Amino acid sequence: MAVENRDPAVKLERGFWLVTAVLAVLSLIAVVATVLYPVQRLLPEAAIPADQIDALFKFLVASSSVVFIFVIGYLLYFSLAFRRRSSDAPDAVGVQIHDSQSLEMWWTIVPTIFIIVLGIFSIKIWYGIQVQPNSGLVVEAIGHQWFYDFRYPGVHGTIPNEMHLPANVPVTLHTTAQDVIHSFWIPAIRLKADMVPGLINTLRFTPTNPGRYEIICTEFCGTLHGEMHKQVVVIEPQAKFIAWLSGWKSKNAHASDAVPAGGGGPPVSLAGGDAAAGKALFAQKCIACHGAATNGFEKRVVGPGLDKVLDDPAHPKLVDGNPATPENVAKILQNGYHGDMGQMPSMGANGLSAKDVANLVAYLKTLK
Amino acid sequence: MSVAVHGEVHGGGVADHIHPEPQTFVRKYIFSIDHKIIGIQYIITSFVFMGLGGLLAELIRVQLMHHSGALVNPDTYNELYSIHGSTMVWLVIIPLLTGGFGNFVFPLQIGARDVAFPWLNMVSFWIFPPAGLMLYSSFLMGAPVAGWTEYPPMSLQGAAGTSMWAAAIFLIGVSSTMTGINFLVTLLKMRAPGMTFTRMPLFCWAQFATAPLLMIATTALGAALAALFIERQFGVPFFDPTKGGSPVLWQHMFWFYSHPAVYIMILPAFGMISEILPTFARKPIFGYKMIAFSSVAIALLGFMVWAHHMFTSGLAPWLQLPFMILTFFIAIPTGIKIFSWLTTLWGGKIQFSTAMLFAVGFIATFTFGGITGVFLAAVPFDLHAHGTYFIVAHLHYVLVGGSLMAILGGVHFWYPKMSGRMMNETLGKWTFWLFFIGFNGTFIPMHWLGLLGMPRRVATYDPQFQTWNIVATAFSFVMTAALLLFFINALYSLRNGRKAGPNPWNARTLEWQIPSPPPYYNFKHVPAVFAAPYDFAEPLPYRGLEGELDPSVPAPVPAGH
Ligand code: HEC
Ligand SMILES: [Cu+2]
Ligand SMILES: [Cu+2]
Repeated sequence: MAVENRDPAVKLERGFWLVTAVLAVLSLIAVVATVLYPVQRLLPEAAIPADQIDALFKFLVASSSVVFIFVIGYLLYFSLAFRRRSSDAPDAVGVQIHDSQSLEMWWTIVPTIFIIVLGIFSIKIWYGIQVQPNSGLVVEAIGHQWFYDFRYPGVHGTIPNEMHLPANVPVTLHTTAQDVIHSFWIPAIRLKADMVPGLINTLRFTPTNPGRYEIICTEFCGTLHGEMHKQVVVIEPQAKFIAWLSGWKSKNAHASDAVPAGGGGPPVSLAGGDAAAGKALFAQKCIACHGAATNGFEKRVVGPGLDKVLDDPAHPKLVDGNPATPENVAKILQNGYHGDMGQMPSMGANGLSAKDVANLVAYLKTLK
Repeated sequence: MSVAVHGEVHGGGVADHIHPEPQTFVRKYIFSIDHKIIGIQYIITSFVFMGLGGLLAELIRVQLMHHSGALVNPDTYNELYSIHGSTMVWLVIIPLLTGGFGNFVFPLQIGARDVAFPWLNMVSFWIFPPAGLMLYSSFLMGAPVAGWTEYPPMSLQGAAGTSMWAAAIFLIGVSSTMTGINFLVTLLKMRAPGMTFTRMPLFCWAQFATAPLLMIATTALGAALAALFIERQFGVPFFDPTKGGSPVLWQHMFWFYSHPAVYIMILPAFGMISEILPTFARKPIFGYKMIAFSSVAIALLGFMVWAHHMFTSGLAPWLQLPFMILTFFIAIPTGIKIFSWLTTLWGGKIQFSTAMLFAVGFIATFTFGGITGVFLAAVPFDLHAHGTYFIVAHLHYVLVGGSLMAILGGVHFWYPKMSGRMMNETLGKWTFWLFFIGFNGTFIPMHWLGLLGMPRRVATYDPQFQTWNIVATAFSFVMTAALLLFFINALYSLRNGRKAGPNPWNARTLEWQIPSPPPYYNFKHVPAVFAAPYDFAEPLPYRGLEGELDPSVPAPVPAGH
């Protein structure tokens, strides 16, 4: 295609340079604003390396806003400046240029340089994440449908739901899962690892800011994936953390190291159940799967409706085949049950204490 | 050599070989072997599925108007988005761009009378509607819930419909593979005389880069789906970790297909943009060769970056680096295209038809989606953003703001060629503006929702995110309104549109030099081609088209003979 030599000489109009100048100023403003913007005001930085990841984020936003401003700016300007006008002849054509080696060279080279800079910067930050200290506190996090539990050195068994960490001590967090793939994301630390059954994925960071932060599951893991978030508490001073840990040491002293996830153990006592507290809990923890308390057995959401669960002539037996007695309902609440309809979570998975179970059963008894 | 005419069968070269024109309705419109009819069949079928997938999308958006789920229970919700994603990828975007527009447009553009294997083409198409119905039938037996990616072990536990899903997508894959082979051979062997590679319209280049992706990558998907199906039905443990399988193996196989698949879903769209822009700017496309080669570069690089979807899955850390760097590099050929399109507009005489509005809108939204793609390629940023609504935002920016915008532009552009009538431009402009505003309003908020802590694939979420979710839903209704308007326009214009004539846009590629709709045999005389099609100030570079056969030029010889 020997068309290059046919191309007319190109002279850029004044408007073009004016627009270019305006876009350059806008880009500068965008870059400065991005660099100065305190990201941690939107989302706290709870640990190292969150600050480094934020630095990379700012670099990405700043550099790409330059690209975006220029592309959109020229797009708008060209669209307006070179639109066909009513005065144009119907067969009017545009400037018949085909290419420009120098222009094409520039827009290959400049992005390449940018990519190299971005690559180097990303690798540097990536390296910073890899070489977080390996010493310090080692914690294991295990994902279950749909909760996390944690193991700490020197503590038998697992600690459900909340992870506590001392400030300013490097943490090595090994993650895995028991049933399906989950993910362990602490937005305030900007890190996540997929929890894969049979694999251990490790995160390393050093908490710096005391406070409570969300732990969120970002890998689809079944019905209640959206409810799978817990909290991490960063504690200062260290003595308070040690006190928390020794509390669990004595509490779990007799726990076997192989407690089944969040269930099992001796039957819970139903004495002193508080129906009002149970009602509030029911609204919070059960309605998603069982629907309103006025739903009868046939009105299924995920699990069956629970109205009259203890007093329904049409269904004298529970889904596990046992007679509908408060003790048997408590057993289902405690250990969970997987039948034809799906998975009724155990008390650990639902985040319930023994007292909660008693309260819920007391409430279910009132549904007559 | 004689030049074949309507209705005769000649045993000569490929290009002047005409099958007899079918006479019955069934052979003409149902089991047709005509690439144009098949293309239109694909387009209509895909748009029907788009209606269904869009309905699912709106159900999703309604559910998310309340933080504890406004519409359905979590299990049903999970089915909705799983089928929504599967529909839009495999039953809408891919078939529209390859089987649909690919089939209709590029054989005409290279001056061919059909694709290389018309029967195979028919079989490819006829696998598609049943496979789509199979996918939807999975709702009856419990649809899959683990999203369009169906990671095991979740997908091993899913209801019976998950196996149906695997079988349906497997069939779609078979159909895609056959289409890829067919297109590749057609492009290599059936170009009109003189249609060298550097004279080929850029849409053909885009299909040329896409065809090998369809052929090669899809086989990996087929293997993965077969393994999933066998494991679910017969218990052979490929993926179940409790029996020694590897769930991460699925992720590798799935993304080895699905990253190239994102280029299957965008390269032909690039090709459409490269046809629409010069036509309405009345200017040669700027940097023809660089645009053509960058498609091929993207296709090649596209095979080497799949694990950028797996940075949090537990890859060996050092392995993350090559995938990150190679993904960054894809920004270069992509940038070249965007800059070349921009420069094509400079100095033009731009006519803002609806098709052109969509093409220009595409540049804006696709640039945005491309940029967030570079963000996600950076491992440290991805460790934060992976699995959140930021991903949902990014992928919709490239697939809706990119592919679908190009497709809508493409429909407005080629509709006159397909139907012989013009679409209504006023309705078209309303469609564009409503779509553009609705689209951005729906998906922009998802960027910060994700970064601030909203995971994807959730039926319920933290109340602090509710306001922006309501905003997104509100705008999604605007987008839906635009699409309804579009369907109304397309149906209405079929009967009532102005007659188009052969070349309503004054375009220069070959398909516009023959009647609309083109006759069964496409070209009375297979033309000889003398230059690339984008020199708007020059006479057309074709000879031998109807009635203007120059006796001094030897009879055309098909390319490749
Ligand atoms: C993830 C969804 C889910 C949640 C949350 C859930 N359940 Fe269930 N529940 C089920 C399913 C599914 C079944 C039926 C299991 C089967 O038979 O397959 C069930 C069964 C039951 C039964 C036995 C019903 C019968 O008629 O035999 C009781 C009682 C029950 N759940 C109480 C509760 C209470 C109380 C809560 C709140 C703490 C709760 N569930 C939370 C899913 C859930
Ligand atoms: Cu989850
Ligand atoms: Cu990818």
